[in-house]
Amino acid sequence: MTTPTSAPQLPFTRPNPMDLAPLFAQLRDKGPLSRVTTPAGDPAWLVTAYDEARTILGDRRFGKAHPAPEKASKISGAAIQSGPTGSFEDEEREHTRMRRVLTPAFSAPRMRRLSSRIQELADGCLDDMERARADSPDTPVNLHDLLSFPLPVQVICELLGVSQSDRDLLRGWSERIGILDGGSDAQEAMADFQAYMGRVAEAKRERPGQDVVTDILKVQAEDPTFTEDDMTRLAAGLLFAGHETTSTRIDFGTLFLLIDPARRDRFAADPEGLVQATVEEILRLSAPGGLGLMRYAREDVQIGGVTVARGDAVLVAINAANRDGEAFAEPDAFDPDRAPNAHLAFGHGGHYCIGNALARTEMRIAFTSLFRRFPGLRLAADPYTLREHSERLTGGVNTVPVLW
Amino acid sequence: MQVEVDRDKCVASGQCVLTAPEVFDQDDDEGKVVVLDDTPAPAAHGRARQAAAMCPGVAISLRDEGR
Ligand code: SF4
Repeated sequence: MTTPTSAPQLPFTRPNPMDLAPLFAQLRDKGPLSRVTTPAGDPAWLVTAYDEARTILGDRRFGKAHPAPEKASKISGAAIQSGPTGSFEDEEREHTRMRRVLTPAFSAPRMRRLSSRIQELADGCLDDMERARADSPDTPVNLHDLLSFPLPVQVICELLGVSQSDRDLLRGWSERIGILDGGSDAQEAMADFQAYMGRVAEAKRERPGQDVVTDILKVQAEDPTFTEDDMTRLAAGLLFAGHETTSTRIDFGTLFLLIDPARRDRFAADPEGLVQATVEEILRLSAPGGLGLMRYAREDVQIGGVTVARGDAVLVAINAANRDGEAFAEPDAFDPDRAPNAHLAFGHGGHYCIGNALARTEMRIAFTSLFRRFPGLRLAADPYTLREHSERLTGGVNTVPVLW
Repeated sequence: MQVEVDRDKCVASGQCVLTAPEVFDQDDDEGKVVVLDDTPAPAAHGRARQAAAMCPGVAISLRDEGR
């Protein structure tokens, strides 16, 4: 790839899945915003400091659309979050419409009602882990394949009303659309994924269900500006975001809890009592993916001692902000006792992750159940040697070998 | 502790409800915050503070009394 500027290019090399690339902290030492080159080779600002990150995410002068999309910096060759989306003039209205459709489905009260179902699915995953262990007692069990991946994927499939017997298809497309230099293959996977969602939607138009795709279709039917492409892209995006990210957090959380046996023992002694704060600390410290959240400046903005010009791309490195020593004492230490723990794992402001209640509920259930069932869980590999997939938008590991 | 919310700023994230369920709820149609208990018991103060600090809409304010 050709690099037009001398600014460092993302994603930065990180030593292992638990630690960030050291370059984030080095850049933050020089200032809250730095010039960088995106994986696609275009210029962008990288925000590494907590205060500026939070400010930008909560500031309506930064959005996801661009005044002249063809001139916008590209972020990557992934088929999702790779450039501006939506219309510059209508951004606010489109976003409000989307939130209105999706909020009820992902609200906390809805999650409360869904909890017992999530618990059932989690118990099923743990049964599978037990069976795998019994079938071949000498082999470590891969927690990623038996819990971290299947649990969120089952939950999001049920919510969207998608058959989870298709989960291998979904897994394949999800992996391909999120590859940072995915290029035409990522686009092809996205097209297949959208076509699949189109077929799901077609079936639901004939037989509506109690699911999010049906909800979306109702709104679409009333709004002629809501195209078929918008609809299938949204549904595919929800499926992707609804499992990739949660899956990664369950993997990372397990690694963080198991790295230190005393930490594990403390948690396993009282999972119900400790899980809320522990999940927040896992969210703060685990750092999936190496880019962050993407914005474009809607006008010139003075911030952090620089001028971000209208149309400039801004990558808010929430992983780096979550380890800013100005905002968190001993930022690299795992400390569930920090209070309050106002991390930016789900963003901040109007675009705050709509799936946060779902992700939090799944994580709480997953960790409580896992350590109730296997209090002596331990890692069967050195976590510092596991490969982190920085080439993917959502990062993550594919294997978390465990024994008990 | 006195809890106040600004529903105009609320972005319906539901974070507060999950963090301090004894203090906050969301309404069913818009998902906006509803205060269940505006003078929560001391046992809930830590959770209320976490909810306020995290609120993505900066919609929650707390007035501490006699701390
Ligand atoms: S956390 Fe804030 S934005 Fe989210 S529902 Fe509660 S009050 Fe609203």
